[in-house]
Amino acid sequence: MEIMLLFQGGLNGIMLGLNYALIALGLSLIFGIMGIVNFAHGEMYMLGGYVAYFLIGRFGLDFFSTIIAAVVIIGLFGMLLEKFIFRPLTMRPKEALTSMIAAVGLAWVIQMGAVICFGDLDRNVPSTFKGIINIGGVIITKERLATIIIGIILVLLLNIFLLRTRIGSAIRAVAQDKEAAALQGIQVSRISSLSFGIGSALAGSAGALMAPIFSVSPFLGGEVILKAFLVVILGGMGSIPGALLGGLVLGFIESIGCLFFSVPSVSAITFSLIIILLIIKPQGLLGRD
Amino acid sequence: MIKKPKIIDIVYWAIFIGLFFLPLFTKESYIFHIFCLIGINIIFACSLNTILNIGELNLAQTTFMGIGAYISALIVMRLALPFWIAMPIAMMVSATISLAIGFLTLRFKGAYFLLFTFLFAELVRVLLSNFWIGLFGGVPGLTNIPRPSMSIPGLFSIKFSSNIEFYYLIMILVLVTIFVMRRIDMSRLGLLFKAISQSESLAESTGLSAMKFKILGCAIGCGFAGLAGSLYAHFVGIITPHDFSIHAVLAPVAYVVVGGMGSVYGPVLGTTFLMALSHFYLRQFGLYELLIYGVIIIMIIRFMPEGLISIPRNVSHWYGRLSKKE
Repeated sequence: MEIMLLFQGGLNGIMLGLNYALIALGLSLIFGIMGIVNFAHGEMYMLGGYVAYFLIGRFGLDFFSTIIAAVVIIGLFGMLLEKFIFRPLTMRPKEALTSMIAAVGLAWVIQMGAVICFGDLDRNVPSTFKGIINIGGVIITKERLATIIIGIILVLLLNIFLLRTRIGSAIRAVAQDKEAAALQGIQVSRISSLSFGIGSALAGSAGALMAPIFSVSPFLGGEVILKAFLVVILGGMGSIPGALLGGLVLGFIESIGCLFFSVPSVSAITFSLIIILLIIKPQGLLGRD
Repeated sequence: MIKKPKIIDIVYWAIFIGLFFLPLFTKESYIFHIFCLIGINIIFACSLNTILNIGELNLAQTTFMGIGAYISALIVMRLALPFWIAMPIAMMVSATISLAIGFLTLRFKGAYFLLFTFLFAELVRVLLSNFWIGLFGGVPGLTNIPRPSMSIPGLFSIKFSSNIEFYYLIMILVLVTIFVMRRIDMSRLGLLFKAISQSESLAESTGLSAMKFKILGCAIGCGFAGLAGSLYAHFVGIITPHDFSIHAVLAPVAYVVVGGMGSVYGPVLGTTFLMALSHFYLRQFGLYELLIYGVIIIMIIRFMPEGLISIPRNVSHWYGRLSKKE
């Protein structure tokens, strides 16, 4: 029975972990390319949730199309933000700090905008997949299983895109060295815009994925951004496998740790462990520096 | 390296003298309440600016304010010592803890200081909210923190119980803070900080230890954050862990950036402008308050890269160009 409980917790951990990893991948990508600590990143997750709420709940679209729609809508929204807010701030002294504060202002604007447009109530999104699957005593709802599978597909797609395509190589080149990449004929501004779009789309897709499981509210972003930070610190800034590993580690700690200890103790232990990790190995679990 | 006083200094001193006589014109407690909060935030913004001056952002700056607030409140409430002893101890404890953190993290370049301070802030918030509840009061925090009082038997006694009395106390401490910041800014130390923030490796190539000075700058900044915290605790009377969470540091960073980083008066101007705007004007917009506030911050950052402090210079620049044309 104890073992079954562990497996149950482990499955939930994988789901949470993939969710965290998707958000953190976006945060890490945006930081790696543009050097922006994007405090508005959590709001993209929240908006992704509202895309799911409207498309599934109001228009009855199916789950897969909704995820694709969330990727496209939030991705385009991210590119717009990059063009009109963040790009004008580049090439200025103290660029990193000013763009971070612009992101903070943006997060407030988006959050309050969502309160004004959508109301401050928690909204439930109807689930597409009904029923449960019993794998040798471990019970998982079909919905959570679908979330895990789609999450894995999204991470794989990102990996293939970054490692196997020309644009992907260009993004990695810019992340390594902006000037050298520009000398190779890569248009850095276009890559920045694309990365911001992809990063936002990742958070948006995570929001849409999770919407049927957790409810949607305008205040999701603040909590989510803190988790994404933890994951990025754990895995190492700018490392894609690191973000995945960090997300899974955090997901497991949260879901399994809470079986044995109280929630505050788990977070206190988590923070202390990550602080110790950061002192011993400042580049994170898989980061290179 | 002492420079002649500039016109801008005279303008600001004139404003301060004007503020000194403010109670002659109005006695409304709410106005003084807001002015006290603005004063506390000015001290805090100056402390934040000190650390930004060495090229680092401390996301745990409000945590150090919180440490100052809790230490000061506990010393007064538990040990029954006067505020005037508790306040320096609060400053010293904040500065000492920041020395340890600076020593651990400022060796690494890049975003490590930022990430580490983020973790530290969250750890302290979780600890204060859930552990040692008998001492720290848990999520509801500490309440009924007494206002300070001062008396010399036979001569006078002040109990800073009204907002107007507290307003003078805060004004004096704001002046002291600005004075210290100004002295640091004009001294050799200030120049070293500027050199380090512009190019750490270049500064190190002249033979100074950048890490040592960064730790020192960090400790000075966090000491003043402790002062702001101590004042906040005794002014408001209630402190909760939530007041000093990671989200609470972002607004003061906005004050500094909007006012103008690097200069001493930039954070003062930014804090006054944004806080007065939100407390006296934007209140009426209800839900839209934070939205408009965010838009204003983005606009100022977008169109005034050097912050509000650059307005007088830009105006005189435009004026000069206009008069030349004629």
